[in-house]
Amino acid sequence: MSLLDDPKAAFADLSRPERWVLGVSVAFVLFLLVAMLTGALGPTYFLFLVGLAGMYALLSFGLNAQWGFTGLINFSVAAFFGIGAYGTALMTASGSPIAGGFSPLVGLAVALVVALALALLIGIPTLRLRADYLAIASLGLAEVVRLIVLNERWLTNGSAGLRGIPGFFDGWPVLSTFPEAMPGLRLVVIPGSPVILETAFWQAALNVLLVLAFAGAAYFVLRRAHRSPWGRVLRTIRSDEDLARALGKNTYSFKMQSFVLGSLIMALAGVFYAHLNLYVGPGDLDPITTFYAWVAVILGGSGSNRGALFGGIVIVTIREGTRFLNDVALPIDPAPLRLLLIGVVIVAVMRYRPQGVLPPQRELIWPSAVDGGGTPETPDSGVRERKGGDDDE
Amino acid sequence: MSEGALPKEDAVLRVDDLQKSFGGLAATDHATFAVERGTITGLIGPNGAGKSTLFNLISGFYEPDGGTVEVNGTDVTGMEPYEVAEQGLIRTFQTPRKLEGMTVREAMLVGPRKQPGESFLTLFTSPGTVAESESANLAEAERILEDFEIDHLATQPATDISGGQMKLVELARAMLAEPEVLLLDEPVAGVNPTLAKKLKEQIRRLNEQGTTFLLIEHDMEFVMDLADPIVVLDQGHVLTEGTPEGVRNDQRVIDAYLGGGA
Repeated sequence: MSLLDDPKAAFADLSRPERWVLGVSVAFVLFLLVAMLTGALGPTYFLFLVGLAGMYALLSFGLNAQWGFTGLINFSVAAFFGIGAYGTALMTASGSPIAGGFSPLVGLAVALVVALALALLIGIPTLRLRADYLAIASLGLAEVVRLIVLNERWLTNGSAGLRGIPGFFDGWPVLSTFPEAMPGLRLVVIPGSPVILETAFWQAALNVLLVLAFAGAAYFVLRRAHRSPWGRVLRTIRSDEDLARALGKNTYSFKMQSFVLGSLIMALAGVFYAHLNLYVGPGDLDPITTFYAWVAVILGGSGSNRGALFGGIVIVTIREGTRFLNDVALPIDPAPLRLLLIGVVIVAVMRYRPQGVLPPQRELIWPSAVDGGGTPETPDSGVRERKGGDDDE
Repeated sequence: MSEGALPKEDAVLRVDDLQKSFGGLAATDHATFAVERGTITGLIGPNGAGKSTLFNLISGFYEPDGGTVEVNGTDVTGMEPYEVAEQGLIRTFQTPRKLEGMTVREAMLVGPRKQPGESFLTLFTSPGTVAESESANLAEAERILEDFEIDHLATQPATDISGGQMKLVELARAMLAEPEVLLLDEPVAGVNPTLAKKLKEQIRRLNEQGTTFLLIEHDMEFVMDLADPIVVLDQGHVLTEGTPEGVRNDQRVIDAYLGGGA
């Protein structure tokens, strides 16, 4: 790792916004640590927030693979998220009207297969047409899926939702009993405000482990894909589809692959959510999720994977951070304030940094090819790994 | 009718009785001609003669109402553009296409056909193959940029270079796709004379190395100097075909350009 050998050089290699984001992230993590140690922020709740951040990061990864890479306008993020959540819930929940009781791994597989089918269903008729048709169709799809979930009670339990979803690791060796097996810990760092780690904490830690595995895998796949010839064709399609066609690329097939990939990642977010919340209802399919994912991607910088990660974290910070404002006397309620804040952030970004906070800025060529070509370009993999690590905390 | 039918033994592109109407307008009206392998064939005609429509029909961007297009003896009528490209026919566009967020050499790397790294699965099943072909393509791209004397632009953002340089990059990228016949739509429109001269030299050089060209151009001096034979299009059909000299002195061509009608 060049980073460990020479952290100064790695830092000097960063662009100004990258340093800025790095600085703010470090400060933010320190702030959270202090809040935890002083007892202002419960450690279990903190881990829940990390889980949520990972979930939003997955949603924005998925949308980034569609919009950021290929320019596909998908307004049905919430539908794919909901399909993921309901897919696994219907398979595993004790309250499921059709199946229930299966292992969460079966739930995961079913969720992905249903999301794949749905992506193909909407992609086949629209991806041959101009970009706007997908946008319109996906807008309709989101509503159709939500209304089916709300009204087909024999299938989904309707507005009552699904209860009794097991944790993702239920039934696994070791991990299923891990939270109970762990001793309760009482850490006193600052006298007078002990930090207590109990079963709920270890349960939350497992959830974080799960979302880190999902998000880490998605990030790994997307990063490699983004720098590959495959990703280059997608970016060509985004800029100018006719050019890609003239150069002999089957753009329909590429768009379909990008759309399916993004949809599967969104479904992954839904699977995680179902096993985090242990309850899913039709409200989880509200269009606000789509809206949040779009804000995260645009905020982070369309086309940038780490930007999507950053955007996802910012969304959770605003969404959950405003809850603490309940204690402060404010002229308006925190709930509308939340949306107002997100609106203000997006307006400010569009005005002062329309490309997003962390746009993709280095050229994207398969890393070893650039190294081998003897070009004096510094590979940035070390830097990116470092950033990913910092943001994940 | 179709006087473009000079005897052609080895045609790399053959267009036969091609028709396309937009509403009541016959944009391509029973056009028939062929492009002989190894030539630089010019396609000229007054504004609205249907040159660009013809290009779109040949390259698969438009579906013809009738007639056939053959590339290398394979019937490509009605095929998708990428399928036509697979037969060895590559085209460029009248206005240079910008690739946002890419450097020049990155934009060049879109050119090569059938890259192993264009398959999503290969990225994970055999990254070594991807790296190998990417290195080879990168080296090739840099070599071609050198040939075009624009290698100093390699790491510039593809959107920051001049219009003329973009045309050069487009031509260079098209060469990476290893076309047998390359269709150029107004390669020197809006390009300054120095760069235009450079483009002409490059096209001639590539032609000597074996690429067949079909080019639309309004700059008469440019096309008369470079192309032979020249196909003249008027109101959607082929008016005549001949040497630059012959075409220049053809009364019907002069009439067409002066708006006399066919």
